[in-house]
Amino acid sequence: MADYGKKLAQLAAHDEGRALAAAEKLVKELKDRGELKQLPGILRSARKESARQRSLAPVVEVGRAEDADAALRAASEAGINAVRAAVNPTLIRGWRARAAGVLVDRSGKRALVDLYRRVTR
Amino acid sequence: MESIIKKLEEEIAAFAPETKSEETGIVRATGDGIAEIDGLAGAVMTEMVLFDPSFDRSLEDALKDPEPVYGLVLNLEEDGTRAVVLGDSSKVYEGMLVRRMGRLLSIPVGDEMVGRVVNPLGEPVDGKGPIKGVKDTPIEREAYGVIDRAPVNVPLHTGIKAIDAMIPIGRGQRELIIGDRGTGKTAVAIDTILNQKSEPKESRPTCIYVAIGQKESKTAKLVAELAEKGAMEYTVVVTAPASSPAALQFLAPFAGAAIGEHFMNQGKDALVVYDDLSKQAVAYRQMSLLLRRPPGREAYPGDIFYLHSRLLERAAKLSKEKGGGSLTALPIIETQENDVSAYIPTNVISITDGQIFLESNLFNQGQRPAINVGISVSRVGSSAQTKAMKKVSGKIKLGLAQFRELEAFMQFSSDLDADTKRQIDDGRRMTEVLKQGRGEPLPFEMEAAVIFAATNGFFDSFPPERVNEMEKKLQDFLLREGRGELDAIKQSKEIREGTETSLKEKLERFVAANA
Repeated sequence: MADYGKKLAQLAAHDEGRALAAAEKLVKELKDRGELKQLPGILRSARKESARQRSLAPVVEVGRAEDADAALRAASEAGINAVRAAVNPTLIRGWRARAAGVLVDRSGKRALVDLYRRVTR
Repeated sequence: MESIIKKLEEEIAAFAPETKSEETGIVRATGDGIAEIDGLAGAVMTEMVLFDPSFDRSLEDALKDPEPVYGLVLNLEEDGTRAVVLGDSSKVYEGMLVRRMGRLLSIPVGDEMVGRVVNPLGEPVDGKGPIKGVKDTPIEREAYGVIDRAPVNVPLHTGIKAIDAMIPIGRGQRELIIGDRGTGKTAVAIDTILNQKSEPKESRPTCIYVAIGQKESKTAKLVAELAEKGAMEYTVVVTAPASSPAALQFLAPFAGAAIGEHFMNQGKDALVVYDDLSKQAVAYRQMSLLLRRPPGREAYPGDIFYLHSRLLERAAKLSKEKGGGSLTALPIIETQENDVSAYIPTNVISITDGQIFLESNLFNQGQRPAINVGISVSRVGSSAQTKAMKKVSGKIKLGLAQFRELEAFMQFSSDLDADTKRQIDDGRRMTEVLKQGRGEPLPFEMEAAVIFAATNGFFDSFPPERVNEMEKKLQDFLLREGRGELDAIKQSKEIREGTETSLKEKLERFVAANA
């Protein structure tokens, strides 16, 4: 059986309107065939795919708001293109960016944690 | 304090942030020691990953619990990976960052591990502090090929008369110890370790005892026993107790093999006991089912045979060019109701070079060790026996097999002809001679002398029920008055004509004195 949930989530990532129309058609088709019991499984699969996409989506975080522009530029140079940077004060200073399973971490927090681990090792 | 300040200063001076990217994933779901991870597309099988709790916490919280949790990648899937958590899986949560470590699962291994008790990750658990001089070594590696190996022809004495005489084990061999629970499997393995103390230091194998899924109290007792008898001087204990995660129980034998190989690669001899592989198979089955791998016979995964074959194939006797070291494996398998035809026992029987079968019936009849010599076998055979042992033990197995055939008629012994009666009595005497208590392994020369006495009829004047007692007396007698003969056997590894004559004289004196 095709993984309708996964396909719908993938389509929604590119074109939400088309994904919505496809979902309506799918529900109607299932209803006509008397296979509506498949819907919870499809929903689970769509949620799982959506969560996966979110975890792989480009994210840039900065320790202080004034570092945002510089961080976006530096992340872009590292191959991670995000539209805006979120402020995460736990980073202390610096920035970190993540996309498609790749992380670039130049935050003060990471540097301090690494230092702590090296010293206490 | 000065050194701490200096180290901090050095680290701060060396601090130079650089833009380096690393491959990461996010935990999608976790439970039962398994983590489903989105990302890590470049990860490889059995690669180590690090679950990093510091990623989404404040610095203060991150430093409160700085110990990272490691994982082992075991499933590579279309949209993610699945890893087993090596440690406290309650610390792994949904949304947690996972970093690739870029190396296969490795443990620290070194000479300094001798005398220590470690977990399957090579971390000491005996409270004696860190182990120095260790080097990270992958716990999985390909076994040596045909060209690198030499034939198994050097004996590994267990100190157990029945084994050394009839089921000899060679250095580099894989000999299975199989039997129901409570039949003395661990006792055979521990006695073998204890007996290595009687070997000269230069040729003494380093022993590795791997306890898998056992009660910690049992392991603690064994370690205490080994320490008390001085065997911890040449022994490493790897423990993955019943309370440890299935992943650690699955890894423990591989860790033991990696430690053994460390000594083998230095041209030394090593002996590794896997106690027991049935529990490792159960742990692997649990992991495989949780990893959603398809179950096969008895719900074990399809690669359960490969799990054991790749482990046991690492036992080897290396060629001279490779240093001539050896790794002998004594895997243990627990059977149910003496059923050796179950899945895991048949697998391991087919992989190993022989098996020592311990039977609960014999155990309950008081025969210790409860070895069924009829179905126990060593495929290396007499090529791993010294000339002395070959000479004295030649006909024991046949004699005992005939005795077992006739044993059924024992209850009608009054109606039996003289020949049959003599055969039965001889068999009973030999059975008594081969009885041996736990923790009483005998040096090879003493075994040879005792079996020499038995096969040459020196116990014939004693009734079978007194033979065991007389055998113990004979040992004391030989230690007192047969030192020269014992030393000659030990040195030459054979019973030369002169030694044989003087040994016979001593034995005659012993029989005359005790008749």
